[in-house]
Amino acid sequence: MPPVIGSYASPIPAKTGIGLRFQHHHAVIDARPDVAWMEVHTENYMGGGTPLRHLDAIRRDTPISLHGVGLSLGSAEGLDPAHLQRIKQVAERIEPGLMSEHIAWSVVDRNYLADLLPLPMTEEALEVVCRHVDQMQSYVNCRILVENPSTYVIFRHSTIPEWEFMAAVAARTGCGILCDVNNIYVSAQNHGWDASAYLAGLPPTAIGEIHLAGHAVRQLPDGKILRIDDHGSAVIPEVWALYQEALARFGPVPTLIEWDNNIPPLEMLLTEVRRAAAFISDVERGVAYADAA
Amino acid sequence: MLNAGLRMPTLLDLQRVMRASIVQHDASAMVEALAVGVEPGRLDIYRNTIFSGLTRALRLAFPAVERLVGDDFFAGAAAAFIREHLPGAAYLDHYGGEFPDFLSGFPPAASLPYLGDVAKLEWAVNRALHAPDKIPLDLSQLMGLSLEDQQRGSFRVHPSVGLLRSDFPVDEIWRAVLDADDQALAKLDLATEPNFLLVERGVSDVAVTRLQGPAWQFLDALCRGESLPSAIDCATDVDAPSLLAEHLASGRFIAFLLDANGAVAPPEAA
Repeated sequence: MPPVIGSYASPIPAKTGIGLRFQHHHAVIDARPDVAWMEVHTENYMGGGTPLRHLDAIRRDTPISLHGVGLSLGSAEGLDPAHLQRIKQVAERIEPGLMSEHIAWSVVDRNYLADLLPLPMTEEALEVVCRHVDQMQSYVNCRILVENPSTYVIFRHSTIPEWEFMAAVAARTGCGILCDVNNIYVSAQNHGWDASAYLAGLPPTAIGEIHLAGHAVRQLPDGKILRIDDHGSAVIPEVWALYQEALARFGPVPTLIEWDNNIPPLEMLLTEVRRAAAFISDVERGVAYADAA
Repeated sequence: MLNAGLRMPTLLDLQRVMRASIVQHDASAMVEALAVGVEPGRLDIYRNTIFSGLTRALRLAFPAVERLVGDDFFAGAAAAFIREHLPGAAYLDHYGGEFPDFLSGFPPAASLPYLGDVAKLEWAVNRALHAPDKIPLDLSQLMGLSLEDQQRGSFRVHPSVGLLRSDFPVDEIWRAVLDADDQALAKLDLATEPNFLLVERGVSDVAVTRLQGPAWQFLDALCRGESLPSAIDCATDVDAPSLLAEHLASGRFIAFLLDANGAVAPPEAA
């Protein structure tokens, strides 16, 4: 059974937000853009000084989501208690509206491999991930969201489709799902999956957030195209279409625009935000029409 | 079907095998674990992400070293360092503490004898930048103690404070390199006296200050946890009261420890 879990101080609204990066701290503090919420990487605020002071200022009028990139929920060796403690310290300081982590691994034998590495979709990996989600949720005393990965390889001994793996983690631990629509598109293209079937396999009530981002396209020596989740460009039309499909299935969900490489001026992120917001409005109107009918 | 006969790796096996493929370029076991038809070259994506991410973390912490040796040299030194020193956790603001010693012993960098010390200074600056926020101890908290307690206790230093001694004028090298000040670089005299530096985070920025040798030795002794009388013994001819007042006024200490059971500290600093 999932542990008894506390609630968040300032919840994240079912609107569009941006991933806040250092490059935009001053622009955000000065211009106070009309963004419903923002998300930061937990690991970037584990020290003190200027970054934390900026975030303190920004969070006074904007709900913040903490998105961890390094806890390594999928490590066979267990979670690093020191890292878990750092996450909790950031949460106590920032009072986030949501906390999330990834279905991936990064640490083996206490070596941190600075990437979100793919897990085999096996019963063993599922048990490991669920144990660690339980551990994190009881330690931070909040329900967390777990994000579906983007992957470039799959394993010979995988037995569970990834969407079933995601659904099982949510069902067994009570956590929510952070549905990264770009990751679904990237992985589906890389492995020949049906992205719509992936969405259909996720439990709608567990979806707590959606991520949108751009990705790169590379041709491999064998001539095949590989899509790489680099968050370095605008969201592509195919991913917007998949996003609309996700909203139709899940209803309005807090949606984040992520941009981590070739970071553009804030205004460009806001253009993407407005585009996503329009799709959410469409769905809200659709919901209203359905209620009236 | 195709899987028959192959031993399925445990999760721990697989994670070790994947590390070997990424860090040691030994993909033989990893390739066996991949699904049929997955081109092993795809593993390069992960290696590139990891090495470029960690190299970027080192560039951020060691910008003057990078300018001194150039982009390509830095990338090569960083890659060699990363293979030997993977980070222990995803807290990359703390990654790179062993890089200065690595550079000091890196044969291709032997023509720049001061490189390791410049790196040490940059690491101290990086530590100061990212140190946790702490409430400083103030003089009144110390004045409330008996003279005997003042003499036997020891200070806990603010985590942003770092002390550095070098046989080279590393502070001048560091500033001139970061300011791209060619005139200052040309005027540098490498054969100066030993250089005693204090690095700390001020209100808005990190400050690097030169101290007199005895003043540095006094502060160094206090930072190592020596009592006031023995810190005074470590440094010759220092005006201890005025130095101590300055350290306290600058917020360089966060607690005063009396013994295992007693400490004087601001409410949230302990």
